[in-house]
Amino acid sequence: MAPKKKEEPKPAPAPKPPEPEPPKEPEFNPAEVKDAFQLFDRTPTNEMKITYAQCGDLIRALGQNPTNAEVMHVLGKPKAEEMQVKMLDFEQFLPIHQHICKAKDRGTFEDFVEGLRVFDKEGNGTVMGAELRHVLATLGEKMKEDEVEQLMAGQEDANGCINYEAFVKHIMAG
Amino acid sequence: MRINCSNRTSLKGRSMKAAILIQRWYRRYVAHLEMRRRYTWNIFQSIEYAGEQDQLQLSSFFSFMLDNVTQMNGNGPDLISHLLDSVVDPLTEEVRQLKYEQIVVSESYSGPRLSFPLSVTDTNALLSAFKEEQTLHGKYVLQLLYETKKFLKQMPNVIYLSTSYAKEITICGDLHGSLDDLLLIFYKNGLPSAENPYIFNGDFVDRGKKSTEIIIILFAFLLLYPDHMHLNRGNHEDHIMNLRYGFTKEVMQKYKTHGREILQLLQDVFSLLPLATVIDNKVLIVHGGISDKTDLDFLSTVERHKVVPFLDSFVSLEPPEPPREELEWQQVVDILWSDPKNQNGCSLNSFRGGGCYFGPDVTQALLQKHDLCLLIRSHECKQEGYELCHNGQVITIFSASNYYEEGSNRGAYIKLGPELVPRFFQYQVSRSTRKLTLHQRVRVAEGSALRALKEKLYAQRSELMAAFQQYDIDNTGRISTSEWAQVVESVLRLDLPWRTLRPRLARLSADGNVEYGSCFEDISPGEPIPPVTPNLAETLYRYRTDLEIIFNIIDKDHSGQISIEEFRQTWKLFTSHLGVAVNDQTIDDMARSIDFNKDGSIDFNEFLEAFRVVHKLDVKEQQQG
Repeated sequence: MAPKKKEEPKPAPAPKPPEPEPPKEPEFNPAEVKDAFQLFDRTPTNEMKITYAQCGDLIRALGQNPTNAEVMHVLGKPKAEEMQVKMLDFEQFLPIHQHICKAKDRGTFEDFVEGLRVFDKEGNGTVMGAELRHVLATLGEKMKEDEVEQLMAGQEDANGCINYEAFVKHIMAG
Repeated sequence: MRINCSNRTSLKGRSMKAAILIQRWYRRYVAHLEMRRRYTWNIFQSIEYAGEQDQLQLSSFFSFMLDNVTQMNGNGPDLISHLLDSVVDPLTEEVRQLKYEQIVVSESYSGPRLSFPLSVTDTNALLSAFKEEQTLHGKYVLQLLYETKKFLKQMPNVIYLSTSYAKEITICGDLHGSLDDLLLIFYKNGLPSAENPYIFNGDFVDRGKKSTEIIIILFAFLLLYPDHMHLNRGNHEDHIMNLRYGFTKEVMQKYKTHGREILQLLQDVFSLLPLATVIDNKVLIVHGGISDKTDLDFLSTVERHKVVPFLDSFVSLEPPEPPREELEWQQVVDILWSDPKNQNGCSLNSFRGGGCYFGPDVTQALLQKHDLCLLIRSHECKQEGYELCHNGQVITIFSASNYYEEGSNRGAYIKLGPELVPRFFQYQVSRSTRKLTLHQRVRVAEGSALRALKEKLYAQRSELMAAFQQYDIDNTGRISTSEWAQVVESVLRLDLPWRTLRPRLARLSADGNVEYGSCFEDISPGEPIPPVTPNLAETLYRYRTDLEIIFNIIDKDHSGQISIEEFRQTWKLFTSHLGVAVNDQTIDDMARSIDFNKDGSIDFNEFLEAFRVVHKLDVKEQQQG
């Protein structure tokens, strides 16, 4: 009962169980966004609302990667104590998501590798794990210690070095 | 490293930029991981409830069989007696007791030897033995069950406890055969004793592999500390559920000689388990929940051992059941099967096939009626091991950690003192010595969930393809994502985020549409023996579990075999009930070819084993070593 298909070249079989697909161009399909929105709705009565604090996570889960500053900006710079309390419904979330989607400078694989190359003192494709930890915890939008731990888990070799191209693939695949 | 000033600033600037970039990507990674974790959970839960809905389908098949068996002029399998046969006990109590005492245990048996009445030595011996993976000899199991049955007979349906002497009572939820969780609870919280009373809120068995050990331990403590150990009945303390969800199989595998008798005794013991516990006249504890008809006073008068929660729903051989028995059955089923919901009202729980969905107003009404302040129940797996709802008036407590998959959820228990403020304690059993990262755990659980979901898709392949093709007028093999999601949702009837899941289940073509055939690519059927047409294979695959249950019922002496005639008749009935056209010749051929040794009987386990599926990617992984 196979449907008649045009002969189309099949994509090369994945070497492992299917990896999540790499980030695509932003899709404005509201139905898809709604599915994900529902997954994040933690209200006891399923009101289709999320907190301000969840907004960034949801946008990221949908494939974008804004900075925290960008998220706060698009939310209207809420105060810290409002983040867990103020809620957004689906209609309010959509335009916020669309705004982030339109922003330029998403950062590609190459940008990412470039960024890490900055810390590659010997130019040999590796960075010192310790240095990277330090940077992530002290510069930019600082990460907490356990966040750094989670990110770096299993990435360092016996000498405490990280092969950053592999590292980048690891992050981008997730 | 000497850097001059201008280099240093630009280096700092680049480092900053790099850090921000990495941090951004990291946060996206974590968010995506969280989403995967959540939909994995949703998948497991939906499939579990759908499985229980299949139970409803099974019961409708039984009704169909009963309706039609008379038309077969008594040539059909003697299913009526099989189904309705409550345990006929030709032996008197004294004779039974003597019979068990006379069972000889060989010298070479190195496990615990129980002596009744039990003492702490016995329970300690049992715990040590089970930690060492030993099995208790059938003789002692029979004696233990016999004593437990005697004990439970004199217990009321509803047990009233008090927290006097400033004692805290520990309340545990579903264990489902997970001995590791029980041992972990005892390790963290201490063994049951006069100073450390426990309530176990049902569903001790099924799904996990150590259900036998769990009930042995629980019953042993019950006999040892009758005033400080309490067991409520759950919906899985029921022999039909056990047929489907694994406990029967476990007993038969561990106890080849005495298994059948153990199962019969268990049937009695389960039916004698109390239905509810009340603490300080304020806290009600039941396994499932309540309905708007629940009344504790009425419940106290029910003859609980006569109520067969599952079967009675359709048995109607005698003239219409007296209304009182109908109500009794209803009340018991509600207690064992209901789930709370967020909206007001009380509606039938069609998902489970029994009991109700009860809203906050129903809870409020019941608590008020009996002057209670809290309802504690189990029955539903919760990520954190417990969950509050109905404005804190209902607590769900679930004690089987990693229920769906390694890392899926925590288990928890409650400690309640005289002030009646619950304290929650969580835990999680971990099998691996190497600590998995969050990413690895999510990946394992997700893989397992997706595999189960793909099997569901495969099981309904023809229906799905027919529905896909309705949208694919030009026969391109592609439809839009929305159409794909709509079809899958309506055919499978699982409330899942299909659009989010699509990348894991089906491929997109170059034009952005879904190649709907691709969702079946990962699965291939095993080699069915005897060979049958693909349609029949699919039907057999889909109803494998139901057939297993039916065969098990027919196979009264649990030998694993039924006669060819019984097989033929059952299969014929089943397929006609499903509306699947299978001609007599096909069935005869099938029956003949399964009877490998031509002795007129069929090993149905072997037969069903043939109708399973193989996940191609798993095979590939295995081949790559």
